Amino acid sequence: MVEKKKKRLSKVFDYLKHEDPFAKGVAFCAGCPLELLVRFIPQVLGNDIVITGTPSCSAPVLMGQNTGSWHKLSYYGTLMTGAAANATGLVRYYNRAGIDNTVICFNGDGTAADIGFGNLSGAAERNEPFIYICYDNEGYMNTGIQRSSTTPFGARTTTTQVGVNSRGKNLRRKNLAMIMAMHKIPYAATATMSNLEDLAQKLLKAKQIKEKGFCYLHVFCPCPTGWGVGPDMSIELCRKAVKTNYFPLWEALNGNFSFSKQVKKPKPVKEYTKLIKKFNHLSDQELDILQKDIDYEYSIIKAMTKLEKEIK
Amino acid sequence: MANNTYFKHEGPWSDASKEFLCSDTGSWRTKRPLIDNDNCIYCGFCAIYCPVQCMEQLDNTFVPDLNFCKGCGICAKECPKNAISMILEREFK
Repeated sequence: MVEKKKKRLSKVFDYLKHEDPFAKGVAFCAGCPLELLVRFIPQVLGNDIVITGTPSCSAPVLMGQNTGSWHKLSYYGTLMTGAAANATGLVRYYNRAGIDNTVICFNGDGTAADIGFGNLSGAAERNEPFIYICYDNEGYMNTGIQRSSTTPFGARTTTTQVGVNSRGKNLRRKNLAMIMAMHKIPYAATATMSNLEDLAQKLLKAKQIKEKGFCYLHVFCPCPTGWGVGPDMSIELCRKAVKTNYFPLWEALNGNFSFSKQVKKPKPVKEYTKLIKKFNHLSDQELDILQKDIDYEYSIIKAMTKLEKEIK
Repeated sequence: MANNTYFKHEGPWSDASKEFLCSDTGSWRTKRPLIDNDNCIYCGFCAIYCPVQCMEQLDNTFVPDLNFCKGCGICAKECPKNAISMILEREFK
């Protein structure tokens, strides 16, 4: 009986080869998938990584408090305007000094899509050899749930309220992963916390490819506090987002697109939005606009994957 | 248990070998996960999805480390056999 049970152990355990460098109790909200992500990355990639990051949800833990540290990794805290530029400097120093390690620029969507976007685009154009990971929680969650440019249409945040004059954000979201893939960098991919095996494979792939140049990973990370969902819902939301094509999983090697997981019969986006409090004011008309936006983004990726096959 | 560290001075660096911070996240918990060993099929989904990574792997089951479990309930939600139930903390007192 015991042997039979052991055979069913999930495959993800094979990727967790290294020890967890973090303290057992760290100051993330209960149920935050970001905590799972920061613990998952060093367990897959090894502890010889240097993380650079900016003021964000991850900073209080990654940066440490005064002279105390929450983890055993190296961390370099920078400003939001210069995240990718600082990582560039680190990589060039390590190359010159002959030190072999992995530099990971770990930022939220506020830094990646809004404030530090110029740096990010510049580093991608110069093809600097490091990994840029953007965890997308669709807003400035650390400072009090303000809207960012990756906030989707209709979402309620503290700066896009629902009331007489406003019905949530009235603009569409920026598809940052697509923009980065259009730089024709060696590796760009999207991942999420419900498909951990896929995420581990993409991290290992990025570590291999980063010798050739810039790698970009866009990780979908729901925020239980800011979105108004229970702490147990965050993984379920990731799964629903993939199944409704709200956040399709794909990767692009040198601009050649391929799906890592293609949903055969995508569900309507209502299945996803009804779970989240920030969307619960949406009328059928507004849901239609959101659905069209998602279909449009998906059709671009689908067309790109077909294009690649024709050229081959 | 969590060890509390007090700061002697401020500095731009942190040294994990001297002052390793660890907060008592077990005290945040309002619900406690209870695992039904008969239903457990040892898939390990609770352990891989646990944000705190506090599920310890034993011979034929998983056991949460209640000193650090925040009680979010992801393990109970993701369990394919519904072998984990979340019980209110006050029932243990």
